[in-house]
Amino acid sequence: MVRVGSHELAWREGMTIADVLDVLGDPYPYAVARIGERIVTAPHFASAAIPDGAEVHLLPLVAGG
Amino acid sequence: MADFAAKEVKSFAYRRPAIRKGYASRTLHVDLSSGEIAVRPVSEEMKEIFVGGKGFDLWLLWNAVKGTTKWNDPENAICIASGPLGGTPTYPGSGKSIVCSISPTTGSCIDSNVGGFFGPYLKFSGFDALEVRGKAKAPTVLFIDGIEERIEIFEVEGLADEAHEISRTLTEYFGQGKPRSISVVSTGPGARHTLIGCLNFSWYDYKRQRSRLKQAGRGGIGTVFADKGIKAIVARWDPVTLATNDPVDVETLKAVAKLHSQEIVEQDPKQNQMSSVGTAHLVTIMNDYDLLPTKNYRFGGDVRAPEMGQEVFRSLFDKGFDGCWIGCTLSCSHGVKDFVPSSGPYKGKKVFVDGPEYETIAGCGSNLGIFDPLFVVEMNFYCDTYGLDTISVGTGIAFAMECFELGLINRDHTGGMDLSFGNKEAALTALHQMATGKGFGATIGQGVRRMKGIFARDYGADPRLLADIGMEAKGLEFSEYMSKESLAQQGGYGLALKGPQHDEAWLIFLDMVHNFMPAFEQKAEALHWFPLFRTWFGLCGLCKLPWNDVTPPDNKQTPEPAKVMRHVEWYSRYFTAVTGRAVEPPDLIFMSERVYNFQRVLCLKMGFGRREHDTIPYRAMGPVSAEEYESRADRYDGQLKDTHHVDIEGKSTLEKVALLRRLREERYELLKDAVYDRRGWTRDGIPTKATVKRLGIDFPEVLEVLNTHGVV
Repeated sequence: MVRVGSHELAWREGMTIADVLDVLGDPYPYAVARIGERIVTAPHFASAAIPDGAEVHLLPLVAGG
Repeated sequence: MADFAAKEVKSFAYRRPAIRKGYASRTLHVDLSSGEIAVRPVSEEMKEIFVGGKGFDLWLLWNAVKGTTKWNDPENAICIASGPLGGTPTYPGSGKSIVCSISPTTGSCIDSNVGGFFGPYLKFSGFDALEVRGKAKAPTVLFIDGIEERIEIFEVEGLADEAHEISRTLTEYFGQGKPRSISVVSTGPGARHTLIGCLNFSWYDYKRQRSRLKQAGRGGIGTVFADKGIKAIVARWDPVTLATNDPVDVETLKAVAKLHSQEIVEQDPKQNQMSSVGTAHLVTIMNDYDLLPTKNYRFGGDVRAPEMGQEVFRSLFDKGFDGCWIGCTLSCSHGVKDFVPSSGPYKGKKVFVDGPEYETIAGCGSNLGIFDPLFVVEMNFYCDTYGLDTISVGTGIAFAMECFELGLINRDHTGGMDLSFGNKEAALTALHQMATGKGFGATIGQGVRRMKGIFARDYGADPRLLADIGMEAKGLEFSEYMSKESLAQQGGYGLALKGPQHDEAWLIFLDMVHNFMPAFEQKAEALHWFPLFRTWFGLCGLCKLPWNDVTPPDNKQTPEPAKVMRHVEWYSRYFTAVTGRAVEPPDLIFMSERVYNFQRVLCLKMGFGRREHDTIPYRAMGPVSAEEYESRADRYDGQLKDTHHVDIEGKSTLEKVALLRRLREERYELLKDAVYDRRGWTRDGIPTKATVKRLGIDFPEVLEVLNTHGVV
C-alpha cells in the first residue's frame, strides 16, 4: 500500500510517481515529489520506484529563493 | 591577545517609550565622529508612508546622504530596523532586521535582510530604527541597553577580530548572566580588507549554550561597518512576550498566528522539510532542473551534485531547534557542531558552523566545480567569522577560476595559485587572503566588477569577454540560480533595485518549469507583484520563508497558487491585528509600491536607477561559448528553429551562439519595456511624476531628483 495525501493506493512492484499520478488522474504540473524523506523531481517521476508502505507527497514547488 | 577591556567614552540616558501598536515611534541616531547621540520622533505620516523596516531605513538614508556621497564618506549611514510586526513571538518568521547603506560595490543604496534578535531588541529598547554615521577614532562598541535605558559608546581593547569570538565575548560581557537578553551585530577582518563584507547578527541558542549567527550578506555593508571603526553594536532587552509589541487585537493575532504555526508544523515535514534541512533541500532539485550554477554559471548541474544534497546535510546538521527568532516553527537556521577546519587559524579546532544554506552550497560548491560538503562547511565558517558574504565570495572566486581556465589571468597574477575549477586548496587560500588583504584573494575581494576592470587594464584581458562572463549587475554579484532559460528570472535579477539578488523575485519555476506566464504581459505582471509583496516582508520585520516555503494543502487549487493567497490574507489580518490599520491584500502591495518606488528614486539620486543600470551580463541570458551552447544544443537549436523560425542548416555553433544572443538580448529589452510600463516608469526606468503622485511620495526632494533627470 502507498499513501498519497488522503489516498491509499495498492502497491505493485516497480510503481513510480508517474504511475501514482495516473491512478489519481491528477493533471497538476508537480515539480517535485517526496517519497518519505527522498526528493524526486519531475524529470525522474517515471523512473523513481516507490517502496511498499511508502508515504508520497506531491509538491508544486512555488517557493525557493 | 590582551584581555578584553571596554572604556566608556559616552553615555546617554533616555526614557524608553512604551511600544504602541508595533511601534516605538522613535529613531536612534549615533554619529561616531562627534559622539553625538540623538533620539528623534517618528511621525504618523512616516508610519503611513514608509511603514517601517526598509521604509524607515531608506528615509533615514535619503536624509543622510547627498547624491555625491561615497560608501566610505563619514555621512554614509548604516541603518538598521525591525518593523511593526517584528518581535512578535508567536507568528513564524517575525524576527527579521533589515539593513540599508550606500554599498562599496554598487555605489548605490543596498538593502540586506537578516535573522537574529537584534531588530526586535532594538525596537523594544525604544527605537524603530537605528542610524549610525561618522567614523570612530578607535575600535568601538555601541551598546543599546533597553533595560537600563542607556546608550553607551565604548572604546575597546583585546576584542578578537573574528565574528563568532566577538559575539561570544560581548554576549558574556553585557549579558549579566542572561545571555539571551543580548544580540550582537559585528563583522570580521575580511570586511576590512575587501569590499564584500557582511554583518553577523547574533541570537542566543539556549539548548547549545552559544551565540549563533545570521548574516546580512549582500552589498558589502560589513565593509562600511568596518570602515566606520565599529567592532560591534549590542542590544540588550528582556523579556519578550506577545504583549511586548502591544498588538491592538490580541485574540485575532493569536488566532492567525496559530493557523500559520500549525500549518507549518503539519505541512513542513510533508513538503520542503525546512525544519530539518533548511534550504539545503534545493540543491538536488536545482540540479535536476538545470538550475544549479556550476563552474561560474556555465552549466546548470553536475552528476556529483547529490554528494552535497539534502540527505548529506541532514546527517551533518546538529539536531535541535534552530529558530533564529523566538517561537518560529519553521526553524530553518541549521548548523554543524564540532566541525574541525582543515585550514586557517582554526585548523584542528572544533567550531560551530551556522549553515550552510543553499546559496552557500551552490556559491562555494558547485559554482567552483567542487562537490565536497565538508569543504562547503569550511568555506561557510570562515566567510562568517571573517565577515564575508558567501554569495559574493563564491561568485567572485568562480569568475576568477573561469578567467584562469580561459587564460585571461595566469599564475603570475594569482601569486602562483592554480585557480582551476575544483581546486579546494586554492579556494580556501584565496578566502584566507581576503581576511588579511594580501595576495590574489585581496583582488577577488574587490568584487567581480572591479576584478573585470583590473584584469582588462592590468592583465590585458578582453573586456568584452569579461563583461559576458563576470556575473554581476549594478556591481553586485549574482546569487546562485541559473537564469539563462527563464526570461522572467532574468528580469527578476536585472530589474531588482539593489542588484541581482533573488529576494525580490524568484520566478524560475513559475516561468521555466510550470510555464505559468508565457506572455510578456504576464511576466511583467509577475515582475510587478512578486517584488512588491516580497518587499512588504522587509517593511514589517518579517521573514518571507513562511509565506511560500510551506503552503496550504489545497493551495494548488487556488487561481494563483504562486501567490499563496491564503497566507497573504493571513498577513493582512496579522498587520491589522498589530497596528490597528485595517488592510486587505491589495493594500500590502500598495504599501510596498510606495517604498519600492522611493528606493528607485534614491538609486537615481545616487547616480543609478536608469535603464542602462538594469543591464545583465550575457551569461545570465544565454550561452556565451560554443561549449555552453553544445551542452544544450537540442534546446537551443529547437528554439532557433521552432520559436524564432531561423534556418540553422549549415550554421556553425558560434554562428548559432550569435543568432541566439541577438534574439535573447532583444527579448530582454522588450521585457524591460513591459515591466517599466507596468510599474508606471518611463522607458528609461524612472518612476513618472504621475506614479510618485499616485503613491503619495511626491515630496519636493523626490520631484527635484526627477526634474534633474528630465522626467515630466
